[in-house]
Amino acid sequence: MNIDAFWIILTGALVAICCSLLGCFLILRRMAMVGDAISHAVLPGIVLAFLFSGSREVWTMLIGAALLGVACTFLIEFFHKKANVSADASIGVTFTWLFALGIILISVFAGKVDLDQDCVLYGEIAYVPLDLWLTQSGLNLGPRTVWILGGVLVVLLLFISLFYKQLYLTSFDPAFAAAIGLSTTLWYYLLMGAVSLTTVAAFESVGAILVVALMVGPPATAYLLTDDLKKMLLLSAVAGIIASAAGYYLALWLNGSVAGAISAVIGIEFLLAFVFSPSHGLLSRRRQLMPVANG
Amino acid sequence: MKLALKRRFTCSFFLLLLLAAACNPQDTPGALAHQQGKLYIVTTTGILADAVTNVVGDRAVVTALMGPGVDPHLYKAALGDLQTLREADVILYNGLHLEGKMGEVLQKLARQKVVWAAAEGLPENLLRRTPEFQDSHDPHIWFDVSLWSRVVEHVSRKLQQQDPQNGAYYQQNTQRYRAQLDSLHQWTKEQIASIPAQQRILITAHDAFGYFGSAYQIQVRGLQGISTVSEFGLQDVSSLVNFIVDRKVKAVFVESSVSQKAIEAVLEGCRQKGHAVKLGGTLYSDALGDSQGPAGTYAGMVQVNVGKIVKALR
Repeated sequence: MNIDAFWIILTGALVAICCSLLGCFLILRRMAMVGDAISHAVLPGIVLAFLFSGSREVWTMLIGAALLGVACTFLIEFFHKKANVSADASIGVTFTWLFALGIILISVFAGKVDLDQDCVLYGEIAYVPLDLWLTQSGLNLGPRTVWILGGVLVVLLLFISLFYKQLYLTSFDPAFAAAIGLSTTLWYYLLMGAVSLTTVAAFESVGAILVVALMVGPPATAYLLTDDLKKMLLLSAVAGIIASAAGYYLALWLNGSVAGAISAVIGIEFLLAFVFSPSHGLLSRRRQLMPVANG
Repeated sequence: MKLALKRRFTCSFFLLLLLAAACNPQDTPGALAHQQGKLYIVTTTGILADAVTNVVGDRAVVTALMGPGVDPHLYKAALGDLQTLREADVILYNGLHLEGKMGEVLQKLARQKVVWAAAEGLPENLLRRTPEFQDSHDPHIWFDVSLWSRVVEHVSRKLQQQDPQNGAYYQQNTQRYRAQLDSLHQWTKEQIASIPAQQRILITAHDAFGYFGSAYQIQVRGLQGISTVSEFGLQDVSSLVNFIVDRKVKAVFVESSVSQKAIEAVLEGCRQKGHAVKLGGTLYSDALGDSQGPAGTYAGMVQVNVGKIVKALR
């Protein structure tokens, strides 16, 4: 395995762990598509950041995108709570509205500038090994993305392990959590803040489709394999890591897009879990039904 | 039962890994070039590869990452591209945000490898930009043949420094090719001037022809902005329709790398107002045509475009 392969698989694994850990909580809250919503909702943030700064430089774009990512999750909760619509409808309304706002801003103010998520924000995982962090003295510290995602992962692990009980209770049983004095709103906003910052950092490193796929696929796979949240977190992280390694080799074999290949492996993992899961799988269910059918 | 399944699971996983290992590339164009002691030059677009090929002839190997008909704004990298970039001795990209995020990555790569942006060869005052924004240059510099000739000169000078052994040969090729480009520039000027002045209006799907318009005195209107993602507005369509009807424009054009749908709405609008405007054909904008066809080279592409424009508007 050469060094490029190592960095790409490591980046994939870091994104996989970050996204699948958060994805578990999102799936339990029936908000799995929040990642996709954020990927669209950041557009007005990018445009506004450009209009204020006049530059398409990475950090400017990241700040604009992160602000809009947080705003998007806040609006989702606001519509969900105050207008009393279901979470999926609230997600749908919010991100389409924000995306539309971005398109209007582009066509009114910046029609002559090439400006959209694809060309100023979304990174490409295949190019991760090229984007190195060099110190002033020229010391090579490895890809910049690995450091950023590694930092995000440390913060996330701290967040989840320190506040596991609060996150667990407010996701599973909000009524009980409220009864014992936990603020469901506060924990919602903290979780969503973590989601939007993670997704935006990951978009910048590896592109949108991979982030959305990793946020839904591995947690859904793990959900089929266990009923225990701790095991689910662990399994989905493992599923994500396997997908990023297998996806890398699939892309190498096909000479195709790495993000596409990893997402395809995630789909295959889910199908395997769906068929072979000991508790929820197609085969085990048939086995349980068989004696009844025979008898 | 469970055990057998698990075994099948692991077996297929290892099979997948084996397959991947078996298909490692060995004789890449880069490795071959190095065996022959030649420079391996990798460009982003086919248009750049064509410029470099005209300078280096057969004394270096040139590869473009993006094939014919690919929109550089929307290009998705394959894993093999990383290998190609790793092997390259020289990497050439257009710059001015044509390649989007990829341009940024290449700009950073310049700290470790020889990476040049073609647009660096042009002074800032020759570049088109919207007055409101500093960082908003129009990247489609190849539509003005005289500008492109300067880019070729810039790239050639860099190549001569990089490969001094073949410097004289490169210089000779460059002079010959630039003479060709000069006559192409004159020819294009004459061709466009042969269209009566009031009919000299070029309407396309997206704003790629700005340099063409200012170099050859033809008014350019695009339905969309430079970004191919921004949707066209209803008002854009209706104001463009009014413009076409008022100025009695004979034909509008579509582009090889942008969808036709947008411009069809305009055609329909004109028809409803009783003005018969026809489709002038497909222009090559952000990518060359098929390498075997007439638009497979830069000069061929310009000739095909100008031929279509003149035929439809005269």
